[in-house]
Amino acid sequence: MFILGLLSWWYGAGWRGRLAALREKLASTLDYFSIDLLLRTFFSPFRQISAGRVDGGLNVQMRAFFDRLISRIIGAMIRLVMILVGSLAIAFHAVIGTLFVILWGVVPLAPIVGIGMAISGWVPWNL
Amino acid sequence: MESVTLNYGSMRAVKARMGRQLGGVWSWLLPIITLLLVAGGVMLLLVEQAVGWLVIGMAAIPFMFHQWHKHELKELPPIKSGSTIDDLLSIDILGRLSKNPAPNELAVVLGEVQSGQFFAARFGVGSQFLQDIAAKEADKTTLIWQEALKIKEELGLAEITGGVLVVALVRAFPGYENLLAHVHIGDDDLIQGIKWQEHIKFLIAQHGKPRRTGGIARDWSFGYIPLLTRFGQNLSDQISRGGLLSADLEAHTQALDQLIETFGKGGRQNAALVGAPGVGKTTIVHAFAERLLDASASIPESLKFRQVFILDSSSLLAAAPGRGELENLIMQVLGEAYSAKNIIICLDNAQLFFEEGVGSVDLTNVLLPILEAGSLRVILTMDEQRYLQIGQRNPSLVNALNRITVGPATKEETLAAMQDQLIVTEFRQKVTYTYQALQEAYRLSERYVHDLAMPGRAIKMMEAAANYSESGLVTMNSVQKAIEQTLDIKVGVASDEDEREKLLNMEELIHRRMINQSRAVAVVSDALRRARAGVRNQNRPIGTFLFLGPTGVGKTELAKALADVYFGGEDRMVRLDLNEYVRSEDVARLIADGADDPTSLTAQVMKQPFSVVLLDEIEKAHPNVLTTLLQLLDEGILRDIKNREVSFRDAIVIATSNAGAERIREYIERGYQLEQFEKQFIDELISSNQFRPEFLNRFDEIVVFRPLEKPELIQVIDLILAGINKTLALQKISVNVADDAKQLLVDKGYDPRLGARPMRRVVQRAVENTVAKQMLSGAVGPGSTIEITFDQVQQILGSQTEADAIAARTNQQVGESDEKTTGPA
Repeated sequence: MFILGLLSWWYGAGWRGRLAALREKLASTLDYFSIDLLLRTFFSPFRQISAGRVDGGLNVQMRAFFDRLISRIIGAMIRLVMILVGSLAIAFHAVIGTLFVILWGVVPLAPIVGIGMAISGWVPWNL
Repeated sequence: MESVTLNYGSMRAVKARMGRQLGGVWSWLLPIITLLLVAGGVMLLLVEQAVGWLVIGMAAIPFMFHQWHKHELKELPPIKSGSTIDDLLSIDILGRLSKNPAPNELAVVLGEVQSGQFFAARFGVGSQFLQDIAAKEADKTTLIWQEALKIKEELGLAEITGGVLVVALVRAFPGYENLLAHVHIGDDDLIQGIKWQEHIKFLIAQHGKPRRTGGIARDWSFGYIPLLTRFGQNLSDQISRGGLLSADLEAHTQALDQLIETFGKGGRQNAALVGAPGVGKTTIVHAFAERLLDASASIPESLKFRQVFILDSSSLLAAAPGRGELENLIMQVLGEAYSAKNIIICLDNAQLFFEEGVGSVDLTNVLLPILEAGSLRVILTMDEQRYLQIGQRNPSLVNALNRITVGPATKEETLAAMQDQLIVTEFRQKVTYTYQALQEAYRLSERYVHDLAMPGRAIKMMEAAANYSESGLVTMNSVQKAIEQTLDIKVGVASDEDEREKLLNMEELIHRRMINQSRAVAVVSDALRRARAGVRNQNRPIGTFLFLGPTGVGKTELAKALADVYFGGEDRMVRLDLNEYVRSEDVARLIADGADDPTSLTAQVMKQPFSVVLLDEIEKAHPNVLTTLLQLLDEGILRDIKNREVSFRDAIVIATSNAGAERIREYIERGYQLEQFEKQFIDELISSNQFRPEFLNRFDEIVVFRPLEKPELIQVIDLILAGINKTLALQKISVNVADDAKQLLVDKGYDPRLGARPMRRVVQRAVENTVAKQMLSGAVGPGSTIEITFDQVQQILGSQTEADAIAARTNQQVGESDEKTTGPA
């Protein structure tokens, strides 16, 4: 009953719990890098620099337009870098997390595998 | 209804016991063993020992147990569709129970689990208390389970918690309500305790939940705010770093929703939170900031991740002391907030920005156009009175604001707010509050704290009590001590031995300085005893008495004696001569603000609520003054000129009057006893229009003082002589007056119209003059006793004319200000 209880949890609620934890971790990373918001504001002026409306003649308006354009381009570049970094971080978490979830399934077999390996006498650097 | 059996062998019960075994030491030992096995295995492999695989493989066993304990056994949830007690019982209790537990075993278990300890610390209902009342027979446990299931269903709980079992155990005891009364709680309070515990669990779960705050992109979308960072407090930043613990209060939900609605739709983007100090306006702003940061909250997109800044008026003033500089700086700060696109400015205590004063400056000209334009989001908080004042000075400013009224919290809401605030206060002050302390803080703050509204006033009281904790526990007693020390009043039931003795022997103590008037002494003593035993009406003064009788019979003296004997000295008497309040306009003087007139009745009682209030010569007061006093006598409350409530509920109010003095003398001379004519006399007073019946009805007791008789006056002389001897004790000299001399002093000093009042002067003249002469002549020295004989008194007072002259002088003074001088003793 004791072992049964442990194993039934391990391959039931325990495994589901690991999946939920992975989902939560990915959601948290997504929130931190906020890729959706970065995409939505991709061409917005960076930190609102030169973002305000300007009154004045044509030359003033033109200068403001170009200032705003530069601010938008800089904003887009920085956001692009962050989107790439964020995507990599999310991918990394996803891979590691998935690996952990898969490994979770084989942990109960580890003692048996260990016995087998010990009997076989195989050591990786002793080939 | 679920089955009331406990299946000891069920899977959940077994898991609960296993979880308990794997807790404690094993909870940290298992991961260490895992790590050691993995490290050991790797090291064996490094030295080319294949047995290392076995060691690594074995590490899986402690790892699995650790994971199982951490993720399931430690917090095994109840089985929703469960039918037996073991399906629904809280895991920490289930893991500790034997196969067939008796109620007293449940009591022992409750002492070991956190939920049971909660009731021990907060309510004084601990394990020992429960063991004492719980049955020892195992067959009685079924009743406990039945009651626990009933409570769980009633409260809609997911499981049977320790709190539920505490209540079930208590309820199983016959007459348990009497038992609970000893710890100042009732059955309802225990139910509140269960809810409180559940609420704490909820708060902890909420606090542990991951936050979604918009991340990096949020900050990059909005502008730089260096000035705002310098001159403002970023609430949103504090919340996202977990630095603020602002609980959601029901009382504030409505205001919060209005705030979101105001900023979520078009129109002027400003809101003025208006409410009395202490209602929680700033807390609402905190809750608002928290809501905006919650990505999962249902709020308009235009509000998501907006940052709330509270502008710091003092740092702005310090940075720009010059008039023009400050306006310039404010414009820059607000301009920055507008350009950043994500800022909501909060002007906390907004009056600081709209009026000239110390630490405040009138920036109406700068702020009004911004508020009217409504493009920059601004929240203002201010109290009702200031809002009206500002509106009076500048109506267009008030018209530009979207007003949101914040009302004071109800008792339930206040207690909930206190319980939430408690988490922070207990952590900071390193104390634990009992439930009774919270209730007492609410009760006493409602009565004595007038400068704040609920829940602020109760929270203030609660925090003040932390300094009076006993061994880190804040109890009812701590709260009472806090208010007694700060306001110099007595609020608890008399428990001190000295005080109880004093109360029980009050009549005797008063009679040490007063002769006769036993009924008057008895009624005031009874009132005081009722008050200190906690059986009086709390919503009225301790006692209200009208003393009627001729001058010089001891009316004022009784008030003084009371102030001295019980209230701690004659200076604890607030005395008002109502012959100075004969005009209608004098009402204003009676209730004047303490800052303008510290001698007004309201100002004196506000400063010293625990006192004797003596209203002398009440019949001479203007009817409007008497009408003003009606509320005081009725409810123990008088509003001062600033409409602040001043409590007279800890005072004894004594009104004196000479009205009908001649009639009393007539009755006495005709041989009537006081009891025989008292009622008729009061009726005569009413019918003669000297007092209105509704005014007389307001008094607890109307006591008629009778003139003193000659034998009593001998006793008065003894009291006067005792006073003289007390003075002479410094010189180690005492005075003894012969009995026949005393009789002579009475004959010379007594005046039927003035009572005993002239007698003090006559005695002083006769005795003090003799003593003075003898001391100067060197006839007496330290340690001597001066004997004063009949002849000496006669010689000093000379003829009857001498005494008459003294009496005449007294009479004249009394005419000028009746009863201003002291009474018979």
